[in-house]
Amino acid sequence: MALTLEIVTPESRVYSDTIDTVVIPTTSGEIGILPGHIPLLTQVQDGELRVTKGTVVSFLAVGGGFAQVFSNKVSIIAERAITEDKIDEKAVENAMQRAEQAIKDAKDMDPAEFEHLQSMVRFSGTQLALKRRRR
Amino acid sequence: MASTRDIRRRIKSVKNTRQITKAMELVAASKMKKAQAAALAGRPYAELMAKMLGAIADRVEEAQHPFLAKREIRTRGIILITSDKGLCGPLNSNVLKVVTDIKTPAKYAVIGRKGTQFIARTHRDLLADFPANDRTSFADIKIVAEFMVKQFIEGVVDTVEVIWPRFRNTLVQAPTIMTLLPLTSVKDIIADLHSDAGLAVTNATKSADNPMLFEPDAASVLEAILPLYINRELFQHAIDAKASEHSARMVAMKTAKDNATKLLGELTLEYNKARQAGITQEILEIAAAQFAA
Repeated sequence: MALTLEIVTPESRVYSDTIDTVVIPTTSGEIGILPGHIPLLTQVQDGELRVTKGTVVSFLAVGGGFAQVFSNKVSIIAERAITEDKIDEKAVENAMQRAEQAIKDAKDMDPAEFEHLQSMVRFSGTQLALKRRRR
Repeated sequence: MASTRDIRRRIKSVKNTRQITKAMELVAASKMKKAQAAALAGRPYAELMAKMLGAIADRVEEAQHPFLAKREIRTRGIILITSDKGLCGPLNSNVLKVVTDIKTPAKYAVIGRKGTQFIARTHRDLLADFPANDRTSFADIKIVAEFMVKQFIEGVVDTVEVIWPRFRNTLVQAPTIMTLLPLTSVKDIIADLHSDAGLAVTNATKSADNPMLFEPDAASVLEAILPLYINRELFQHAIDAKASEHSARMVAMKTAKDNATKLLGELTLEYNKARQAGITQEILEIAAAQFAA
């Protein structure tokens, strides 16, 4: 018995594969999904997603969305998602610095924009942490 | 009759124009393909979201969410999607015609410079303007959507509507107005998502028999998923508008190129006639001079 995992963003389908287990970061902590999990619908937080397939463990950075588990099918809709090998460390670092700078410079910034920048920083941080762990 | 040199000069300039319009047509065609692919890439997302909402809708009674509340409409909030650049035929002016027809008080948030200019020129109430990048990213559109939702929650506007050139096919883009907020019911949302995903509108799959776990609980999941739906909806319209823009530009440039080719033919004919007339004239003069001698 295996799980199928599917991750989509409004822009594209990021991941689609058969896997053994997946650990999803949610608003109420990490949730590990094994085959045979009961139907579940939960809110996904910015963070890293851990996918185990055989002996290979791979990581994805996801940002804001929802996950649904239904009859051994895990479906995740996220605002942002990126697989580990697609993360461009330099670009992410730059983006993170820009966002942090913007937060510092902001005095009376729109709360929505502030929120957006902070989530940018969080997402970048997750991506960097992922990329660097391997070395 | 114009002199041959004048005609030659005009032929040269028309040739230049034809070359430029031809290049722009090709560029627009390739961008259009990309934009259409982007519009299709959003389908799996719409489908999944419909499924999730379907699962919630069966369990939560129509929630007391501010998005679902009916209220008196005093000021309409309108998101206008236009292009940054011109040279795309009647695309923008058709959309702006819809704006002109709005007589009730309204406030605007505009994507694209053409729309911003129009709203400013006609002294309408502009809340904010955003650039229309060639590659529409979800993060950009999210900012627009959240801005407008905030205005809605704070009571600055009482509806959120979108006006954009809807992509029907390469030749036809219909300016369309659609209400995002307030939402009518979760069922309508699901039907809308189904049509966006390119699926037949079916009654949401009945899954109420299977117990489903909600984390933290169904009501708060619904509350969190609705803003995401609004963002997705606006994003879908924005990429749709992009596809419209590029196809309108392609058609406009093709027409311009064809016109240039036609004009070039006419000018060449005229040039040849003028040249021949010149030669005939010269022969006549020489012959006349010979006779006189």
